[in-house]
Amino acid sequence: MNKLKILLLVIAGGFFLSLTACNDILENVEPATSVSGETVLTSPEGVRALRVSMYAKMHENFAYRTEYFVAPSAFTDETRNRPGSTRYQNLTVAVGTSGTSHIASWGAHYNIIQDANLLIGAVEAGVLPDGEFNRFRAEALTIRAFALHNLVKVYGYDPGNFDMGDLSGNWDAGVVIRNEPVIDVADADLRARSTVNEVYAQIFADLDQARSLSNSLGTNNSYVTPAFIDGLAARAHLYAGNWANAAQFAQSAIDMFAGSLQSTAGGVANMFDEAIGNHPEALFKLVVNPNTEGGGFNNDGPATYTSDGFLAQLPTQFLIDKYEDGDHRLGWYRNCATAQRVALNQPTGCADVNTGEFSIVKFNGGKGQTVDDLPFMRLAEMYLILAEAQYKAGNQGGGIAALETLRIARNAGATPASFANLTAFEDFILDERMRELAVEGHRFFDLKRLKRDIRNPNGTIKMFSGSYRILPQIGVGLRNVNPQLVENPGYAD
Amino acid sequence: MYQKLLTILLMVFFSSQIALAQSGSIVGQVTDADSGETLPGATIMLTQLDRGAATDVDGNYVIQNVPAGTYNLTASFVGFRTFRQTVEVVAGQRTTLNIAMQTGAIGLDEVIVSGYAVTTKRETTGSIASIRASDFLDVPLQNTEALLQGRAAGVNVTADSGNPGAGFRVNIRGNGSVNAASQPLYIVDGVQISFDGLSTQAASTSPLNALNPNDIESIEVLKDASSAAIYGAQAAAGVVIITTKRGQAGRTQITARAETGVRSLARNVEYITSEQYVQYLGEGFAYVTGQSVEAGVANRRTFLTNFFGEDPFNPGQLANTNWQDFIFNEGVTQRYNISMSGGNQTTTFFLSGGYEDTEGTAFNTDFTRLNVRSNLDHQISDRFRTSLNVNLSRSSQFGVCQNGNFINCPISQAMFEAPMSFPYNEDGSYNRFTRFGLANNPAVQMEEVDRVANVTQIISNMNLIYRANDWLTFNGLVGADYRNTDDEQFRSAIAAPAQGGYAFYAARQVQNFNTNLVANLRQTFGGVHNVSGLLGTEYRRNYVETRLVQGNGFSGPFFKVLAATAEPVTAGGTFTEWRLGSYFANAKYNYDEKYFLNVVARYDGHSRFGNETRWGFFPSVSGAWRISEENFFDVSFVDELKLRVGYGTTGNSSIGNFASRGLYSALGSYQGQSGLRPAQLANVNLGWEEAVEINIGLDYELLEGRIFGAIDVFRKDNKELLFGRPLPSDSGFGSITENIGSVRNEGIEFEISTVNVNTSGFTWSSRFNVAFMSNEILSLPEDTDIRENDALTSLRIGQPIGLIQVPRWAGVNPADGRPMWYDGDGNITFNPVQDGDAIEYKDGVANAFGGFGNTLSYKGLTLDAFFQFSFGQWAFAGTDYYFTRTPDFLMNLTTEVEGRWRQPGDITSYPRAILGGTNYPETANYRVQQSTQSINNASYIRLKNVSLSYSIPARWSEQFGLSNVRVYASAINLITWTAWPWYDPEVAFNPTDIYNNFTAASYPTERQVNAGIEIRF
Repeated sequence: MNKLKILLLVIAGGFFLSLTACNDILENVEPATSVSGETVLTSPEGVRALRVSMYAKMHENFAYRTEYFVAPSAFTDETRNRPGSTRYQNLTVAVGTSGTSHIASWGAHYNIIQDANLLIGAVEAGVLPDGEFNRFRAEALTIRAFALHNLVKVYGYDPGNFDMGDLSGNWDAGVVIRNEPVIDVADADLRARSTVNEVYAQIFADLDQARSLSNSLGTNNSYVTPAFIDGLAARAHLYAGNWANAAQFAQSAIDMFAGSLQSTAGGVANMFDEAIGNHPEALFKLVVNPNTEGGGFNNDGPATYTSDGFLAQLPTQFLIDKYEDGDHRLGWYRNCATAQRVALNQPTGCADVNTGEFSIVKFNGGKGQTVDDLPFMRLAEMYLILAEAQYKAGNQGGGIAALETLRIARNAGATPASFANLTAFEDFILDERMRELAVEGHRFFDLKRLKRDIRNPNGTIKMFSGSYRILPQIGVGLRNVNPQLVENPGYAD
Repeated sequence: MYQKLLTILLMVFFSSQIALAQSGSIVGQVTDADSGETLPGATIMLTQLDRGAATDVDGNYVIQNVPAGTYNLTASFVGFRTFRQTVEVVAGQRTTLNIAMQTGAIGLDEVIVSGYAVTTKRETTGSIASIRASDFLDVPLQNTEALLQGRAAGVNVTADSGNPGAGFRVNIRGNGSVNAASQPLYIVDGVQISFDGLSTQAASTSPLNALNPNDIESIEVLKDASSAAIYGAQAAAGVVIITTKRGQAGRTQITARAETGVRSLARNVEYITSEQYVQYLGEGFAYVTGQSVEAGVANRRTFLTNFFGEDPFNPGQLANTNWQDFIFNEGVTQRYNISMSGGNQTTTFFLSGGYEDTEGTAFNTDFTRLNVRSNLDHQISDRFRTSLNVNLSRSSQFGVCQNGNFINCPISQAMFEAPMSFPYNEDGSYNRFTRFGLANNPAVQMEEVDRVANVTQIISNMNLIYRANDWLTFNGLVGADYRNTDDEQFRSAIAAPAQGGYAFYAARQVQNFNTNLVANLRQTFGGVHNVSGLLGTEYRRNYVETRLVQGNGFSGPFFKVLAATAEPVTAGGTFTEWRLGSYFANAKYNYDEKYFLNVVARYDGHSRFGNETRWGFFPSVSGAWRISEENFFDVSFVDELKLRVGYGTTGNSSIGNFASRGLYSALGSYQGQSGLRPAQLANVNLGWEEAVEINIGLDYELLEGRIFGAIDVFRKDNKELLFGRPLPSDSGFGSITENIGSVRNEGIEFEISTVNVNTSGFTWSSRFNVAFMSNEILSLPEDTDIRENDALTSLRIGQPIGLIQVPRWAGVNPADGRPMWYDGDGNITFNPVQDGDAIEYKDGVANAFGGFGNTLSYKGLTLDAFFQFSFGQWAFAGTDYYFTRTPDFLMNLTTEVEGRWRQPGDITSYPRAILGGTNYPETANYRVQQSTQSINNASYIRLKNVSLSYSIPARWSEQFGLSNVRVYASAINLITWTAWPWYDPEVAFNPTDIYNNFTAASYPTERQVNAGIEIRF
């Protein structure tokens, strides 16, 4: 009897031992929601999901959903904090003589480039059908160019402006160019900042290559389209001062885009409302589903910053005064209290920012849960680029005509037939860009590329154009990791 | 019933009938040598057989079926010296041994569970703290971790939240890890408890909530590496072994308890009234605009009336709401327990059931638990024995959001709502104009939001023990820790207007299973060479599954269920697991119970690591010398003196389950499609963190056991620490986890227990423990400090984790009422810069902590007072500091502002009134500027527990057929002495917080006063 029991125990013991003795049982544990890179890059489903991630990273990221649109306004003179609110207060109070607050999100852009690089460089031909393969490459090249431009326009002086800084002679440092996928830790090498001109060359090369593949692209403007490729090229050439190229690509984008400028009061006023106009002028927009994509923007979307939620950044009287009576675009300014869909604050103090107690409703949480779609580029911007670039390229008549086309559509009043000098024209274009593109991510960069001082709404100087504060700080965090990154002038080493 | 020491592996043996013929028995009565009274509940043990019995109500005991031979018999009982004597058992005869016990402490004969085996304190070579049921008899705590607070030297326990049922940060011998900070390994009767898959709605919770503290017999904390190394890769943060009560043969004893009490906040913060607020703002307005104070006050009164509205009950006036009282209210607690213990020669049982309902102070917070336990032991034959322990529990925990500056969390709302705002309008409707609008009106949060975690948990194990012969025993164990958490959150359309209300459910399932087989050996050669040891193998699998679902849009205030929502919006779910396979061995030798040697080795393989580093080896060696047994040692008042030395290695594997692999994760979605993206780069060399520890200790017992305790000195070096080596962010990756860095913890622990007075009927005993600790970072990746200038989260070589670096506060300028600081050169500055002016100020390390208690008893009356203390920890109270000291956002202001500067020459601690932190000209923002002024001393002494109980004399209770009736009153956290100016000096951001220098709107600790009755029959 006892022997039998001993035998039983030995068997039981052997069973336990075999469980642990086997290394396999420890090895065969697989994650539920992760797979190896090889699996992703060699399967069509994996590559398609990687492309989804590239687009998703934009709407997920604060740098693209809010900073892109609202920060350049808060940093200049288009918006100011409602009393008691704090969102972007750091930017509105920032001055040119001290501090570090800026529109700076180094890593966010590279995070998007990471996925683009994989789509461009790590997917073998044959994994996908040719058309789809080319389409993804064209999209990834364009998104990479978009991200690089968003980086270089903030971290470096614009081409031709390298003498702007008071503290530095000829400062032309741009950003790091990383074009290859990072598959292994060895690929994550340390790189120095390329020059601004090198970065622009890369942007144009990417866009050229994307254009060569553009017949694989569709016309759905919630993905990259041929019109967006040229629109982005027009924008980048404008920053680079290549007037002829800028004009040519702006015209090309206008021609390729299926829609046209809105020209009725309602059409203009409601173009940003997803339930009514639904972005008829967007060359490229991200569609955001508040229910499935992260449960909404919570309290850091552009609507929460402007017309919904916290009611923090309100249009300044300075901005509203730029419009003439009857301008359809005044429809974007509505009573701050009644326009608020989700009240996180009692709407007191709006009158302290503008007498009409307006908020600007381009972002108003129209999709629910304080979420909006994100229109990164609109047709109207193409007309503005066309106007400025043609004028500066010498075709003054053509420039004014493009301007007039836009202003007629907006019922903006008479357009001057001529300007006394280039500065007068630039002043007018800057104002028109405010009227059209307020809170769409342009004001700071327009002033910067045109070497204008940054002023407060009351006209006092916020930052001189030569202030070191025009460029952001790279920061010790990034430079500790990568000592090859040089700091922008004026910030402590 | 005291001090019955019953364990999984070794417990009372009852011989089978078959063995009767060769056996005899031992009987006797146990009495108090001083008074002659009988002692019920004393434990009698035969050392060689690991068998014993407890005395009955009359002090009688019987041990039957003892094989003929000579045995060492011990008798132990709390408050008495252990009795030892050799007895001879003759086959077929009854040996009578009456025992008269001398008063004194149990000391070194205390039996302790040290991992896969039991031993006595006398034999122990490592550092182990033991806590007995008698130590927390009337302590009304929900959670086992709370029982450890202040009671084990070197174990620093900090409440994470005052929410009933909340978790704790339990730190054994310092903070040894930066990125793999982990809890100790908790083992309940051999079942290793999982801390994964906890509720998020309860905000702070613990899986140990499943245990009823009334069921716990003892808690052992394995503190040093030489005692914990047997648990290898899971032991670097220490091991806590919890043993539950077992049945005793004899007449069934039933114990019933009922108690009730009240909970309230342990500390409040004083805020100013509306009128004081108006006056303050008026002065601020006058300062900013240059107007008179009177004009300023009038202006601000109008402004505030417009901003907040008029008091609905006093038209024309501002409201004056005490939001602290609105949010924190007294809660009622009640608990009922019943337990039964009994059995016969072959089968014993311990059955218990408990119900508890504890309301917290923050509105809605509540913890209820219903649990049943059945511990059965059965002697199958003379060689086979089995036991089955089952603990079933169902708990509901109503939580509130906390730990952050959240506009919808009641804890922060107590700071965010100014007295001028008010919860309800005159008609009873919600005020729309509280500080953050209707949805964030605290009354809406109270009435329109439910957050509840319903947890069903099974902790169960089955043992089969086979005694092959006198020196060899096999023990097989199968243990399960199965936890099902139903997390629910409901928000009505008022509380969640963007979604039209929603219902969120998360089902979290933890299947945690472990099994082991252990061979125990014990043999004595030549009468003096005692050899024992064990050899074992173990496997553990920890599997966690989560399913999430949310529906938005309720049609009205009728329903709270998913089916009533208009739109399903979230359907998520995932699972993850890890597995651990192990071999372990332990060899012990002692010569004549004088010289001890103990060697432990464990070999662990973990699924978290790649093939290169999967298996880790964790050895330890320790020894002890009982100096008092030497002939040359002749100090009459020293009974016992034992020197212990131990050295060993343990591991920490608390990293992500798949941290070593190159992975793409399913993240992000666009246009209805799901994304996959690179999440981490592969690192095949990723391995364990290791803790190498040396411990030197001295156990002592003086004056015939009236004084005993231990002193331990340790140094623990945690090496191969996991750090994310930062990668250039232009690569798209943030970092790669690698084994770099080390941290040292050193300390001294001191424990003493005394029996001060023991005359007829009156006893006074005391206990005290304290640990002194230091923490230092020895090395970091590339020898570079991390966040070197950061105020609270810097990691600097040569400094402790949790270093606080801030500029020095220079006070208020008497001339103009502006705040001043010192720059790095010691000169006054109005604009301090963190990088240049911050000094190495304090740190979040509690350098000295422990507890002390006194028990006084006279006849049936017992008074116990237990104090717990912590010194040396400093911290920054983020929410209080940022939001309750300046009126930038028109939130609550503390009475600190009443001591403000008003006119030139005033020497004050608070500057002149302002409207916002940026109002002082050419001066840093007073609201956010950190300095030595913003860092507070979180040291405290707490009257943690005080209880008074009275046992009704037996001659009365027996008339009702009851063997004992005891009534008692107790309190926890009754008084706190501290310099901390905010709610709660117990600062721990979460259970794995490593810095311990920051808190943000954490649910404060609560005070509880209880009264109860216990009946035995």
